[in-house]
Amino acid sequence: MAERNEARTNWQAAQIKDGSRPEGRPFWEGTKQGKFLLPVGPDGKAFWYPRAFVPGTLEEVSWKESKGEGTVYTYSVHYLGPPGFSKKGDAPHVIALVDLDEGVRVMTNLVKDEENFPDIDIDQVRIGQRVRVVFDELSEDYTLPRFTIVD
Amino acid sequence: MSVREATPDVAETRRMLKKGIVIAGVGETEQGILPDRGSFDLLSEATKLTLDDAGITLADVDGMVTAFSFVEHTLMHATTFCDYLGFRPGYFASVAVGGATAPLMAVQAALAIDAGLAEVVLCVRGDNTRSGISSSGMIAQAREMTQGEFEWPYGVTTIGGYGLLAQRYMHEYNVPQEALAAVVATQSEHGALKWNAMLREPVTIEDVLASRMIATPFHVLDCSLVNDGAAAFLVTTADRAKSMKSKPVYITGIGEGYSHQYISQAQSVDSVRDGLGRAGRRAMEVAGITPADLDVAEIYDSFSFTPLIALEGFGVCGKGEAGDWVLEGNAKLGGTLPMNTAGGLIRQAHLGAMHHIVEAALQLRGEADDTARGGGNHQVPGAKLAITNGSGGILAATSALVLSSEPPSA
Repeated sequence: MAERNEARTNWQAAQIKDGSRPEGRPFWEGTKQGKFLLPVGPDGKAFWYPRAFVPGTLEEVSWKESKGEGTVYTYSVHYLGPPGFSKKGDAPHVIALVDLDEGVRVMTNLVKDEENFPDIDIDQVRIGQRVRVVFDELSEDYTLPRFTIVD
Repeated sequence: MSVREATPDVAETRRMLKKGIVIAGVGETEQGILPDRGSFDLLSEATKLTLDDAGITLADVDGMVTAFSFVEHTLMHATTFCDYLGFRPGYFASVAVGGATAPLMAVQAALAIDAGLAEVVLCVRGDNTRSGISSSGMIAQAREMTQGEFEWPYGVTTIGGYGLLAQRYMHEYNVPQEALAAVVATQSEHGALKWNAMLREPVTIEDVLASRMIATPFHVLDCSLVNDGAAAFLVTTADRAKSMKSKPVYITGIGEGYSHQYISQAQSVDSVRDGLGRAGRRAMEVAGITPADLDVAEIYDSFSFTPLIALEGFGVCGKGEAGDWVLEGNAKLGGTLPMNTAGGLIRQAHLGAMHHIVEAALQLRGEADDTARGGGNHQVPGAKLAITNGSGGILAATSALVLSSEPPSA
């Protein structure tokens, strides 16, 4: 079992807190309950990332739950992360862009669906790979959605 | 996302440039690791070198356009620097669009001149980025390139952000790693000839592939440099430049374009190519030229992949063909369109796109032989037309210029 990387976990929670906007709060409330909520316009079409108004039309925003399944559009294996996220000697982590089936593209990590969600083995990653969401509880306030490979 | 394209009036842009908007002086400091030099110190030296090149003094300048600094944080960069210089120009502006800043500084100067706000405008950018902030501080700058809430916490870097689109491009067009490395190898041969290039030793494709992987598909040698240094150029009218010392270089085309702000929201390789490519296509349309007319290309090269998609977007190469184009030697000095003839951001130094503009101007003046300064001859014989661009963010906001040794004819 992989040990939890406490420094990274704390850094991620702090970064989300620092970077968060009020209009994203429903999303972070959702992830705490194991839901990947997407902002949608009056036409039911999802957009990403959350805004206070629908981008382009400035209509009212509501939220719907994603099934949390999608396809890897692209990825990059990072051997060096931002300071705080990783340090020299850490295993590489994978940044991926995932196309959710609801039609939005999100950035994420690809991880193993095991306790503490260790980084995926890099030879398992492919463009076009099907993936599904897992919820990584970083802190009391923030649960970060990450993705794992669907066999 | 609804897209609201500007509806630019090509004839009106040509009207402005037909007045004769020229680069009448350039200057570049030493580049590298210069721990004894401050940000404003370097900007001052680039200013002095540029004034000397034009044969004028600060008293002849009435406009100042600057950019921003990673070290000297100020909300008023232009006037803070003017104060440091002991200079009170009638017109001042700071431009901050990341790597697209330098061409936009030239555009800002041209607009000010056209509007009668100023006649002789100094554009200067530089910083002690390498010595003034730590390397981890530099990596942390990536936060500014990413969406702070939904991208940055995953541990993405600037390098890896570019890597995302580069890997998709390579997947779609079956482009080998060697094509990216060929950009570096080509530019390293050019950088070897530039007097102030940080990296003067040529490298091979094999050297690039053997260097440490940072974020796929980029090795350390695929990445641009972090350095201390500054550069400047002087924008004025062709009439005013007649009384100055150096050969004027005409701005004959300008253009901008972008497809996304955050890399996760880029729709496709096609949309990115089209978005940033619009800058170059529009600049060439204004100039009344096609890619086949170009003699030299100074193309923004934050990473080895960056020029490939720009070359395709500008119409120099077809979709997915830029890698082969570089592998075939077209981008080399002596090739069909020599690119980044002073080494670019990857081998010379990274000052945004400042060096791209300075090098393009020197090429069109016929003064790109650095033999007397300890470098070598990187002059493209008889170069008359150049394209140059800068890109801010991760393949996002892009600005391009067409420069010419001759007045606009269109």
